[in-house]
Amino acid sequence: MKDSLVLLGRIPAHPDSRCWFLAWNPAGTLLASCGGDRSVRIWGREGDSWICKSVLCEGHQRTVRKVAWSPCGNYLASASFDATTCIWKKNKDDFECVTTLEGHENEVKSVAWAPSGNLLATCSRDKSVWVWEVDEEDEYECVSVLNSHTQDVKHVLWHPSQELLASASYDDTVKLYREEEDDWVCCATLEGHESTVWSLAFDPSGQRLASCSDDRTVRIWRQYLPGNEQGVACNGSDPSWKCICTLSGFHSRTIYDVAWCQLTGALATACGDDAIRVFEEDPGSDPQQPTFSLTAHLPQAHSQDVNCVAWNPKEQGLLASCSDDGELAFWKYQPSEGP
Amino acid sequence: MKCEHCTRKECSKKTKTDDQENASVEVPSPAPESGEEKGEFHKLADAKIFLSDCLACDSCVSAEEGVQVAQQNAKDFLRVLNLNKKCDASEHRVLAVSVCPQSLPYFAAKFSLSVTDASRRLCGFLKSLGVHYVFDATIAADFSILESQKEFVRRFHQHSEEEPALPMLTSACPGWVRYAERVLGHPVTPHLCTARSPQQIMGSLVKDYFARRQDLSADRIFHVIVAPCYDRKLEALQEDVPTASPGFRGTDCVLTSGEIAQMMEQSDLSVRDAALDTLFGDVREEVRRHDGASSDGCLAHIFRHAAKELFDEDVGELTYRALRNRDFQEVTLEKSGKVLLRFAAAYGFRNIQNVVLKLKRGRFPYHFVEVLACAGGCLNGRGQAQTEDGRADRALLQRMRGVHAAGPGRTPETSAHVQDLYREWLDGADAPRARGTLHTAHQGPGRPADGRDIKW
Repeated sequence: MKDSLVLLGRIPAHPDSRCWFLAWNPAGTLLASCGGDRSVRIWGREGDSWICKSVLCEGHQRTVRKVAWSPCGNYLASASFDATTCIWKKNKDDFECVTTLEGHENEVKSVAWAPSGNLLATCSRDKSVWVWEVDEEDEYECVSVLNSHTQDVKHVLWHPSQELLASASYDDTVKLYREEEDDWVCCATLEGHESTVWSLAFDPSGQRLASCSDDRTVRIWRQYLPGNEQGVACNGSDPSWKCICTLSGFHSRTIYDVAWCQLTGALATACGDDAIRVFEEDPGSDPQQPTFSLTAHLPQAHSQDVNCVAWNPKEQGLLASCSDDGELAFWKYQPSEGP
Repeated sequence: MKCEHCTRKECSKKTKTDDQENASVEVPSPAPESGEEKGEFHKLADAKIFLSDCLACDSCVSAEEGVQVAQQNAKDFLRVLNLNKKCDASEHRVLAVSVCPQSLPYFAAKFSLSVTDASRRLCGFLKSLGVHYVFDATIAADFSILESQKEFVRRFHQHSEEEPALPMLTSACPGWVRYAERVLGHPVTPHLCTARSPQQIMGSLVKDYFARRQDLSADRIFHVIVAPCYDRKLEALQEDVPTASPGFRGTDCVLTSGEIAQMMEQSDLSVRDAALDTLFGDVREEVRRHDGASSDGCLAHIFRHAAKELFDEDVGELTYRALRNRDFQEVTLEKSGKVLLRFAAAYGFRNIQNVVLKLKRGRFPYHFVEVLACAGGCLNGRGQAQTEDGRADRALLQRMRGVHAAGPGRTPETSAHVQDLYREWLDGADAPRARGTLHTAHQGPGRPADGRDIKW
């Protein structure tokens, strides 16, 4: 297990600052990083090393907390503590800020693009989740403001194939939203975590959702459709989400991020104890009550908190991570070859 | 707990610095709320009292305001009524209740009555409690709309590329105006119509005109407004009677339709229906509505007035086109293929955001926008169209719209009383007194909200 995560490279991506978040473009060729230095950096591979292709530093007045690529890969959205979200248009190696989305009362914590690319979600310390619609002329309109959470909203994430939105909050819950008539509504609240929920990840099928928390656990939630064989109760036509697995006892501090590899199904976590961990579902485990095993544990992955882990969407086992130490690291994950 | 950021200068959890620049540190993001500091407003928030859906963030309301908003409740109303039953005449007040036109459809729908019969039921109930006068606040909306019409025509003439006087944005909704003043500021506030809201004008009518007519000093009157939303309670804290001494409030207490209905349901008084009073001592049997169910009909009346005044076009029924969603509608006046007037109604926070975004980008196609903070407009106010679990009661809203539309209508121009009041009370429509009483200035942001750490 010890050698299953191999360091490929380490870069001082946001020196003298924190590196907060990473996002691979859909082709897996570029990695965007953002940090406390108010910049977004774009990294590309040249030979065996990773080169900074662009620095986007004109858009924000404060920390850039998260970044997200559009599904087409031509746009990048950046969410900042300056209460705005910038939309950057990619033109070869250049990025131009084409729109600044204003409206949140204070720090924007996360941004995410729907699979269609027509919808964008943002969330903020102002407790709200916003859904924006994009038209052909790059005009953004607010289609909904959702005030379901009672505290700071930390993360937003779209379902990989449906127009279903998930959000995680300081109020210890995860909420799911869908469109109803011409507005959006909260259709499920996932309760169970005992402290702030920091991040979310869908599995490749979108049937399961992983959430990670300040309570040092990862929870796996499974979707049950109305009339399911297992007899899980649903409210009307909305599916029900039930916690089917809790990974506890593995992490010694807050878990800041969770990433579900869309190629292999491996689950990586970023933890406040400076470690990166990888879990895999046990072969043959009951789908209604799956079990996961720790397959990699790198205690000193970074010198400070690990803030984010991101699987490359095309290259199996390529994992990127970033930390409060300002560094960005690349890892090769090699699954163990059976017992 | 990790600190992502913090707006506090002093923070016990200063563990990490993420924003070197301003040594900004994250506390567990929303400043931890100790039980004591929560105060009344949080109790209100728990009781689903929000400044419309947009301002679920409570940072616009100071703790002091929160307390004053919470004090406007049925208990306070009954306290004043009870004082009248005590011997100490110095504590006696004349009780006047003004009912908003958007509240009557609620009582009508709730009791399955026509709007006029519902007004009689409500009036009878309030009188049985000991209220002296019950007024229909439509007359205040008459003034507000007449003034808005004039202002729109003036702005249309003044408008130029260099000094844009358009669009004009309505200012009758207190949730919207507060958001515009506290959060948006310039470039939005110059576009707000300066006409006072119906509630503010009703305050002046009761505490100034009516008081004088009855030979009462204004402080002898306790003025209650029955309104569809909670935001009006906050508005009542700010409105002053321009002709009275500074800080003198035109409305002492705002109760929502829902609060009144609850009192009616819990009361065991035998009630005889009674007709509404007027400010002029006579009694009116029938309640007449303005066009436009969602508000006082600002958009419809100003549109017709502007079409006539500016283009000599008579407009009958307006054709509303729903654009992005049912709370964003457009009305245009076209002549030989050219759009002369383009008006919009934008309700709810998301549509307000889009109006603001367009305005900031300088690509604004509308001459006029009727802006209301509540999705669905005033009939859908949280003080009346909400089910017990806090959701919008769509069936009730539908019934309210039905009874509202069924009532007889009239236009603000046709009220003889209003024209008399312009002469008798305000020294004429163009007099400084009329201007001072019927118009206000909108302030930009910057007023500190009670020492909280707010950065817009």
